[in-house]
Amino acid sequence: MLKPVDLKAFLIASTATLLTLLMILIGSRRLQNFDAALIAYLFGTLFAVFGIVYRYTVWIQRPPTRVYFVSSLKTLFSKDGLNFVGYTLKDFLLNIIFQRFIIRRSKYRGLAHLFMAIGCFLAFCITIPLTFGWIHFTLVPDSGMDPAAPKIYTAHFFGFDVMSFPVKSIIGFLTFGALNWCSILVIIGATYFLQRRLKEPGLIATQTFEGDILPLLLLILVSLTGLGLTLDYEFMHGKAYEFMAVTHAFFVIVFLVWMPFGKFFHIIQRPAQIGAHIYKEVGRKQGMQQCKFTHKEYTTKLHVADLKKITKEMGFNLENKDGESILDYSPEGKRDLLAIAHFKARKQSGDFFG
Amino acid sequence: MAKLPLPAEQIINEFGPHLHFPDPEGTSGRDEPDKIVETHCCFCGMQCGIKLLAKNNKVVGFEPWMEFPFNEGRLCPKGVQRYLQDNHPDRLTSPLINIPGKGYVPTSWDAAMEKTVAEIRRIQETYGHDAFAVLSGVSLSNEKSYMMGKFARVALKTKNLDYNGRLCMVSAGAGNKKAFGLDRTSNNYSDLAHAEVIIVTGANVSETFPTLTYWLWQARDNGAKIIVVDPREIPLARTADIHLDIRPGTDSALFGAILNYMVQHDLLDHEFIDNYTSGFDETIATVKDYTLAWAEEVTGAKKEKIEDAAKLWGKASTSFLLHARGIEHHTKGVENVLSCINIVLASGRIGRPYCGYGTITGQGNGQGGREHGHKCDQLPGNRDIENPEHRKYISDVWGIDEKDLPGKGLTAYEIIDAIHRDEIKGLISICFNPLVSLPNNNYVRAALEKLEFYVGIDFFMSETMRHCDVILPGSLHEEEEGTVTTAEGRVVRIRKVVDPPAGARADSEIIMEIARRLGVGDKFSYPDSEAIFNELRIASKGGTADYYGITYEKIEKNMGIFWPCPELDHPGTPRLWEDRKFKTADGKAHFNPVKYHPSMDPTDAEYPVILTTGRVVSQYLSGTQTRRIGKLVKQFAQPFLEIHPVLAKTLGIGQHEDVRVVTKRGDAIFPANIVETIREDTVFLPYHWPGKKSANQLTSAFLDPISKIPEFKVSACKLIPTGNHSYIGNDALDYQSI
Amino acid sequence: MAEYYKLQEEFFVDMQRCIGCKACEAACAECETNGQESMIHVNYVDRSTTIQTTVQVCMHCEDPVCANVCPADAITKDEFGVVHTANTSRCIGCSNCVMACPFGVPKKIEEYDLMMKCNMCYDRTSVGKKPMCATVCPSGALFYGTREEIQAKRPNSTPINTFLFGEETVKTKVNLMMPKGSTELRVL
Repeated sequence: MLKPVDLKAFLIASTATLLTLLMILIGSRRLQNFDAALIAYLFGTLFAVFGIVYRYTVWIQRPPTRVYFVSSLKTLFSKDGLNFVGYTLKDFLLNIIFQRFIIRRSKYRGLAHLFMAIGCFLAFCITIPLTFGWIHFTLVPDSGMDPAAPKIYTAHFFGFDVMSFPVKSIIGFLTFGALNWCSILVIIGATYFLQRRLKEPGLIATQTFEGDILPLLLLILVSLTGLGLTLDYEFMHGKAYEFMAVTHAFFVIVFLVWMPFGKFFHIIQRPAQIGAHIYKEVGRKQGMQQCKFTHKEYTTKLHVADLKKITKEMGFNLENKDGESILDYSPEGKRDLLAIAHFKARKQSGDFFG
Repeated sequence: MAKLPLPAEQIINEFGPHLHFPDPEGTSGRDEPDKIVETHCCFCGMQCGIKLLAKNNKVVGFEPWMEFPFNEGRLCPKGVQRYLQDNHPDRLTSPLINIPGKGYVPTSWDAAMEKTVAEIRRIQETYGHDAFAVLSGVSLSNEKSYMMGKFARVALKTKNLDYNGRLCMVSAGAGNKKAFGLDRTSNNYSDLAHAEVIIVTGANVSETFPTLTYWLWQARDNGAKIIVVDPREIPLARTADIHLDIRPGTDSALFGAILNYMVQHDLLDHEFIDNYTSGFDETIATVKDYTLAWAEEVTGAKKEKIEDAAKLWGKASTSFLLHARGIEHHTKGVENVLSCINIVLASGRIGRPYCGYGTITGQGNGQGGREHGHKCDQLPGNRDIENPEHRKYISDVWGIDEKDLPGKGLTAYEIIDAIHRDEIKGLISICFNPLVSLPNNNYVRAALEKLEFYVGIDFFMSETMRHCDVILPGSLHEEEEGTVTTAEGRVVRIRKVVDPPAGARADSEIIMEIARRLGVGDKFSYPDSEAIFNELRIASKGGTADYYGITYEKIEKNMGIFWPCPELDHPGTPRLWEDRKFKTADGKAHFNPVKYHPSMDPTDAEYPVILTTGRVVSQYLSGTQTRRIGKLVKQFAQPFLEIHPVLAKTLGIGQHEDVRVVTKRGDAIFPANIVETIREDTVFLPYHWPGKKSANQLTSAFLDPISKIPEFKVSACKLIPTGNHSYIGNDALDYQSI
Repeated sequence: MAEYYKLQEEFFVDMQRCIGCKACEAACAECETNGQESMIHVNYVDRSTTIQTTVQVCMHCEDPVCANVCPADAITKDEFGVVHTANTSRCIGCSNCVMACPFGVPKKIEEYDLMMKCNMCYDRTSVGKKPMCATVCPSGALFYGTREEIQAKRPNSTPINTFLFGEETVKTKVNLMMPKGSTELRVL
């Protein structure tokens, strides 16, 4: 089903893409520092930027999402906002950085996911600036002249020299090897998840190839081919460079292009969790809603009020003519109401069975 | 001296009860089990079919057994989680010796056996054979029950053998024998589905036999009217056509009045009464003054409702009457049963399709266990231990001299009394937890502490086992082959799914080993369970409970065979009495006069409230198994005192307030659960818990004169609010969403 | 032999038969898709006055309110009409679905910051087996089978799948057994 193009989202996404281009021009000193070999990556990234921003914009315009988005922003920019800065940072650290909620589901899963997340995040941090020409390295000419002398590189960021370091140093080792380490982390994490998905009946029953298996395969393939480049360079004297470079580029570009559509979009969506948490905190301060049947508190008044609006916007009218809404009842209360209505109907019929 | 070697807390620390939960990551091996075994649930008398999954000699889960005809895959929460008793951290895996101050110390099988046999010998040589008693349990298969009976009489040569069925359905057994000459429910439960009227009395079916509910609901789908007699609005009563909320202990008044009503309105089957019964005239003479108004006064149930019930019952063309512990746990348990049988016989609705009567046997093998094994007055095949012919037959089967076969011994509670009287000095028990299940259990504890030697066989350290001098780790239901007879009288196959864990042994091996060491190994040399069963078949041949025609192969092929089955080509007997040939001396069904009289512990000014006890759905009997399964414990973590708001208000008791319940035996504290679903003059406690939470600290040990069942169901008590609220509700967890 | 989802088999609920035993809850936790968390709800309606319990599975609405109010697009309905539990990578634990579902079904697992709900034992139904809860239910309050089977067993009842909450009409995949001739049930 083709959805009509959301003009607003299109404009915002286009602007974001143009801004990115602008930043590339500035950051690479008018492409002076741009590595032409990375051109394919560049286009992939630009496409991803456009797609992600477009989808994100469409997404946060949906009534339920908008509520959280607007509420979080309002809170953070309100007088009260300062109070929430600390909360937000802590929540971000615990749930986005350390992913506590996954670790609680299972230690192994949490750890494996953390590996993947760290690997991917670091890799993005390195490759995107490289692709954009924001970072580049040059060999200090003197050190390159003498084959016996240690080679010293200078790192440039946005065209400014940042620092120089010998290749055979800890910094050198980490800098040039960083992507390899990322690959290894991602491979460990993704392999763990892949074997679970191949083994566990519960997952097998509910997963789809494109939604669950393919993303893992893609991560593993990107990492493996990336490692392949290093292996080729270190041990095969670049004999397979062409092949490795092309396959790696291919998988990375598929990854980038697919980012706005598939499972990887959750990376972009996840911070909304913080919004949901802030929303709860704000609501809690305003007061709790009591169930009309069980007389116990079940959620915040703010939540119920907003849900009434959201359900209406989504086309559900859960209120009766007296203005009473099913949303005024807790989950247990709703179940009780149904059971009572059912009991009455059965009783009136004169027979509970039959 | 059978005392705790260490304070109970320290024993609990080591041996539990600890809670066993399934692994949230899934039980390893469940997805590709080595074998899937069709067997049965280990708990109640329904013995629902279930498939257990095993991997590497470990039970890793279950699957519903859809083909088994009684339950077609259906299970209760206990059945669903029964597999968690396997691989349980509390499992006993070494013989243990009680060393005061040090606790239970592991020892070798040889040392434990040697000590056991030496003590048996010493006690029997010093005090006589009968000074060593046996308490057995009907969680045991037919094979093991049969062997325990033979072990007591042939190896220990003691007459004092009894079993925990004494707390279960002995009143029904005695009543059925009096009336029909045979002790079995008359029909299989599929007959329920088409009965027109069903009376369920003293049976909280949906909590104690949940899977039987399906058959009752099916009957209702087919238009059956259902009459529930219970002091509480039990789940069955909520939608029942008539709920008679009678005062505990007034059952025989109710059924007497119904019988009288049937006579007055000529709602009788004269043809049946005249030709196939005896004792009718004396019986109806006893109840001629039992009017509806009188019944209302005695039972507390409205007379209009009693009349409606009597009319429904009297006019029905097909019917079923089911009862359980509610009417049997009384000093007049047998009378209550007979009063029920009287209205069944008066209706003539027995021995026909969709017409039946029966007790719902509570324990897993309550039916088979009492027929073949360990009842103090019975020999295999439901034979009478005092009948010379029966004695001769069994002595021949066992290869002993009839003179050496002990006579009738003491019943379970009488054994406790005899310990107090110093007549019994030694005890061996298996699958029995009297410290939780017997009434007035402080008296029971004192008895255990008096024993000179106590050896117990069990798979977990039950509360009673903490008193043992020697503990022999036995086996679970799924660790030995065997058969069980369900509440319907259906003999089914129990399969060995796994071996006992290293260090533990199969129960039958343990018994055979003790017998061998006592010098009668030749009489206990069975190569396997089937060999025991084959001997049981011969021992039961010609008895009323005749299993001769039942073989393992036949059971497996037919998913169970109903006894009696006297010949190999006999198909078994799902429905009794179709031939109208009753097993009494005169071949007729007997009416028995039943006069109502009050219970033994009546209320008075000091103890004005009736305390009655029962069960909850997530626990089984004394809880040795179910108090170790995590989710079952969470479902109902502790006993509550159910009390009506009117009574609570009078006494100033608030919701969940701790209430001290006092009887002449003792007192205990329980949080109140104020509900309108109980009579105003009655409070209810479930009895599955030990120690301070044990309801049986309060119950009385008055026994039925015939069946010797204790009167669990009626105790006079007083209630004292304490003002404390120790119960912390889990309401906070109800709405986890915020 | 590969087994597939049997579209001819349906779920039928009748909470007046429920005895509150919670066999379904225990069995639900055995379902492979929800890792020892039980997704079915059994609770007393009002214990102080009645022993009545109710049992609630996900009704699998034709137009699920839960999915509509989900800010993270975490809830989806498949080609068989099964409304699946939250996609773990998307769900942000906001509880919109928990509070908006008119049947009170989704469950927030606070510890995991995740909503979980009944997916009709998808590990079993997707290979032609019956859901665990309906298989073990000892009272027939939960039944899974064909319409013909239930009609034969309970000829005086009619399965309905239309529920009225205020002005809204909610249609579901799961049926409720009602007195013969009923077409809908008004809850509010």
